[in-house]
Amino acid sequence: MDKQQEIARLEALAYDLRKKLLYLCGTYGGPVHIGGDLSAADLLIALYHYGMNVDPNNIMNPARDRFILSKGHGAVCMYIAMALRGFFDYDEICATYGKLDSAFGMHPCKVHLPGVETSSGSLGHGLSIAVGMALSAKQKGQKHRVFCLMGDGETCEGSIWEAAMAASSYKLGNLVGIVDRNGQLMTSYTEDFIHLEPYADKWKAFGWNEIELDGHNMAEIVAALDSLPAPDSEQPTVLIAHTIKGKGVSFMERDIGWHAGALSEEDLERALKDLEATYGKSGVENNGRNL
Amino acid sequence: MGVTFNFGQFFLSGRTVIGDTLHEIGLKNDKLWVLTPDTGAALKAFKRDCGDRFVDVGIAEQNVVGIAAGLALEGNIPVIMGMIPFMTMRACEQVRTDVCYQNLPVRIIGTGGGLTSEGGSTHNAMEDIALMSSLVNMTVISIGDPNMIRDILWASMKYPGPMFIRLAQGKKDRVIYEEGTMKYEIGKGIIAKEGKDVIIFAHGEMVFQALEAAFRLEAEGISVGVIDMFTIKPLDKELVLRAVEETGRIVVLEDHLMYGGLATAISDLLIDRAVYPKAFRRLGIPQVYAGFGTGEELRAKYGYDTEATVRAVREVLEK
Ligand SMILES: Cc1ncc(C[n+]2csc(CCOP(=O)(O)OP(=O)(O)O)c2C)c(N)n1
Repeated sequence: MDKQQEIARLEALAYDLRKKLLYLCGTYGGPVHIGGDLSAADLLIALYHYGMNVDPNNIMNPARDRFILSKGHGAVCMYIAMALRGFFDYDEICATYGKLDSAFGMHPCKVHLPGVETSSGSLGHGLSIAVGMALSAKQKGQKHRVFCLMGDGETCEGSIWEAAMAASSYKLGNLVGIVDRNGQLMTSYTEDFIHLEPYADKWKAFGWNEIELDGHNMAEIVAALDSLPAPDSEQPTVLIAHTIKGKGVSFMERDIGWHAGALSEEDLERALKDLEATYGKSGVENNGRNL
Repeated sequence: MGVTFNFGQFFLSGRTVIGDTLHEIGLKNDKLWVLTPDTGAALKAFKRDCGDRFVDVGIAEQNVVGIAAGLALEGNIPVIMGMIPFMTMRACEQVRTDVCYQNLPVRIIGTGGGLTSEGGSTHNAMEDIALMSSLVNMTVISIGDPNMIRDILWASMKYPGPMFIRLAQGKKDRVIYEEGTMKYEIGKGIIAKEGKDVIIFAHGEMVFQALEAAFRLEAEGISVGVIDMFTIKPLDKELVLRAVEETGRIVVLEDHLMYGGLATAISDLLIDRAVYPKAFRRLGIPQVYAGFGTGEELRAKYGYDTEATVRAVREVLEK
């Protein structure tokens, strides 16, 4: 497949993921972290369907790339991205999400859901765990990468920067941090109180190779993943993905009220129509390319 | 005593009461500071009118506790609103060493007590009372009736030392006592319902459940008392000892690990005073990471819902 086709395939998958997320948000009956799911959707599709070496039929393959969802509240977005790759059954996710004894909870639980690399949900933990995994791979001479997706609000936690310092000190070229830079926390925008900017400079100052990109532009995501330095290189890389919380549904985009929520039946219909208007049937954003 | 009127029919958001009360206090007392690690949606009025004493640190629980300690060292009274697992576990050492060690008047209000969060084990709060009540100087309060928050917060402005205040979800909390009829005093438990055969001790959301069980048993002619021990530390020792003396049969019900919470505080007291009840049962979370589901579902699964409480009372009656 050439690159153009590959990108179109990924865009179609991301569109499908968004539809499935909205459907769940309208049927679950409790709050879904839909804002941060929609901001991370393109990234998760690119990782699970392009950038990472993973195999749903061999989930413990030692050579697999590792993925850590440090922003654990994005769990359902990861579950469905993985389901589309064949790891899980989407209908089962829909039928059991968040329910008693379900493996598919609001936050990922490795004990109940093999295929997930670590349990998460308490913010600020993931990057340290990723450093541990990357250190182990490096010491063993393994060639895989460790990817860690964080929320930008999450990086207010000091522990993230402790891990960032360790990663460059230990020369972890096999570690890739990804920040979903949607500019929002749970109750405010990132520059309202605590200023994250100059954000890229912070990572650079901590010794990281830094790549900025539009986290909703599949071609840019793919290019960034293609450009990752070799796993046995000596500098960790962070992808700062500029995104929009609630991306694809106009009444959710950048709205503090949609950090988490449930869609009524009417709103679900409205959201799906909105999504279709944005992405068209093919899943490619109507930016002129597919009109 | 023991006012229960239109029982179970009224709800109130604990978070709204917190927001309203802190706003009221903030307008009158400029020593009050309100801080939050990105969990202060209910604090809008305070932020609007007392903005120079409002701090949102982003998602940084250790930082917020350290900042509160610094504010307290300068003579202010900081109140932090956060989520229980992250306030009591992530920031535990800051709470212990920066706040409790120096006996500073920092107040931590946490939501999501017990298994009410629905977020799974990362978000459940089943160790918080054990952790917080083990800290020297710390006062530990567990709110049952959301109206209680008002009195406790006002009292906390004059109360010495650090304080941890535990709520359930704080979204749709049951009103237990007729508004305006109760006085809540730190260190004094409440007899929510008198009873002669068995006494259930409970705190927080479990007070409602204890009353539900008690009313059900009452209909069968079993007289069950309920004590709302919202003040876990300091414990109302006199009330505990009196209850044991009067009935000799005790059930302790809490949305917390069975060991390390109120049941442990009560049993420690009884052993220390060589007071031995005829029967003592504890109901709470066993040694498990409880997983997903609603609070109600999980309480049923782990054996401390209303049904289990009724059963436990019957069992202790047979002893
Ligand atoms: C340690 C910790 N503190 C607080 C929370 C509650 N919480 C869940 S999501 C969230 C906001 C996350 O913001 P961000 O990391 O930017 O994620 P996104 O905007 O992508 O959803 C908060 C405060 C938590 N899960 N963990």
